[in-house]
Amino acid sequence: MIYFENVSKFYDYHTVLKSVSFTIEKGEMLFITGPSGAGKSTLLKLIYKGADFDEGEIVVGNYKLSQIRTSEIPNYRKNIGIVFQDFKLLKNLSVYNNVALALRIRGLSEREIKARVSEVLKRVNLRHLAESNPMALSGGEQQRIVIARAVVAEPQIILADEPTGNLDPNTSIDIINLLKDINLNGSTIIIATHSPELFKDTGKRVLKIDASKIVREMKG
Amino acid sequence: MYITYSIKTAFKSLIDEKWINLLCVLTVASSLIIIILMGLFLFNIERLADKLHERYGMVVFLDERLTENEIRSLLSTLQSREEVSSVRYISKESAMKELKEHLKEMSYIFDGLDVNPLTPAVELNIKKKYINAKNIKDLSNDLQKINGIDEIYSAEKIAESINYFYRSLTNLGLIIMITLTSGVIFVIYSTVKILFYRRKEEIEIIKLLGATKSFIRMPFLIEGSIIGFTGGLISIIVSFLFYFAITYRLGSVFPFVETLIFPTEAIFVFLIIGALLGIIGAFIAVGRLRF
Ligand SMILES: Nc1ncnc2c1ncn2[C@@H]1O[C@H](COP(=O)(O)OP(=O)(O)O)[C@@H](O)[C@H]1O
Ligand SMILES: [Mg+2]
Repeated sequence: MIYFENVSKFYDYHTVLKSVSFTIEKGEMLFITGPSGAGKSTLLKLIYKGADFDEGEIVVGNYKLSQIRTSEIPNYRKNIGIVFQDFKLLKNLSVYNNVALALRIRGLSEREIKARVSEVLKRVNLRHLAESNPMALSGGEQQRIVIARAVVAEPQIILADEPTGNLDPNTSIDIINLLKDINLNGSTIIIATHSPELFKDTGKRVLKIDASKIVREMKG
Repeated sequence: MYITYSIKTAFKSLIDEKWINLLCVLTVASSLIIIILMGLFLFNIERLADKLHERYGMVVFLDERLTENEIRSLLSTLQSREEVSSVRYISKESAMKELKEHLKEMSYIFDGLDVNPLTPAVELNIKKKYINAKNIKDLSNDLQKINGIDEIYSAEKIAESINYFYRSLTNLGLIIMITLTSGVIFVIYSTVKILFYRRKEEIEIIKLLGATKSFIRMPFLIEGSIIGFTGGLISIIVSFLFYFAITYRLGSVFPFVETLIFPTEAIFVFLIIGALLGIIGAFIAVGRLRF
């Protein structure tokens, strides 16, 4: 599903990723870990074309990312749901409308949008806050909106950047279980996290990156 | 389809930023009012100029000794000229009759006259596009050479000044209209650009969620077209009231005012023009989107 082939990424002579290669199978759930500043977020960014890589090749499904045309990017991104580390919620839209946006972009009917959004909000325990403004909510609640928005369209790929960064341990487990459920339904999931507790006992594959390289592969 | 969302977003933005949008609508309306009144003025000037042209004629005076057949062939020669739209023969007798009618009670001055001193003549109506000094001069030079034509009254200076007057007004009017039209596009462009930059952060996020260019553009285009359309609507209403007021209030004092015409097609045309200028302005404002 996703192939990295000797991928390098530099920011002004500063190497963030150097010759990184790995493969993720369709339907896999994979953790990427490493200390802060290791390049986890950058790796995810390269997948959703939020940044361009400088060397190597990334293949996602039928797309070769070095060759993808600008006009194809919107449709390519529709295959991906992203849990951003900095949330990227829309300040002037309600919780409901923030989540619904992912479906409006995909052209679903308002009726279908309503059904799907209500369901996903129930799953992340936010149904009672549907009409609230996200900016008025706690960090944990905002985090769950972002997760709801990422999964609501049931995309083939879900990229989650520190999805439990703002959650207490119990809620973190809930979120990981939610992502596991979605994974069982067929989505390929990549989770970047600096905290080992998250993948402990999951039995999923974990890639550890440090100093711009994959230094270890292990089982959670 | 996301069009419902686009419309909702556009209306939300119109309401959220109501003052800037209102100012924009009023600026657009003011410019369109001037454009409409200018257009109305030019439209009526053109009608007036047409009337003047209809009245413009060239008169050629004929040799008295021409036979009826010679006159007939002369008339068809004149009629065959490209510049000539119609000819009218005025015999000595009818010339005298016209003159007497014209002078009315003073016509007794001819009473003692037993010969008719007038000469037969032909009045030529000239096609509008040929009414200018050069063409009239060329034509009268050509006609001068024809046997049987004694003298020509052409008044090319009058023809030329009617045309000059009309052309200058039209050109001036068009320049003002084009300038104001660009101004309307610019005002809408600036407004939408401001709204676009205010929502820049939001747009960057929507791009990452997989939005296409048209998904991002649509609310702005709708907003621009609503601003333009509303501006058009206001300008049409105000211009029409203005037209109504001057024709009814001034019509009795200055009769020519009553002959002014406000074409009803203009109403629809300006609504569409307003909306179109809005879309153009908004389209330029959103500009090229990068992913
Ligand atoms: N846009 C950028 N410009 C310059 N340097 C960047 C940029 N984004 C990330 N970096 C640098 O790349 C490195 C990896 O960052 P990041 O991928 O965010 O790490 P992580 O998510 O593992 O904490 C850091 O040293 C960071 O400073
Ligand atoms: Mg990070």
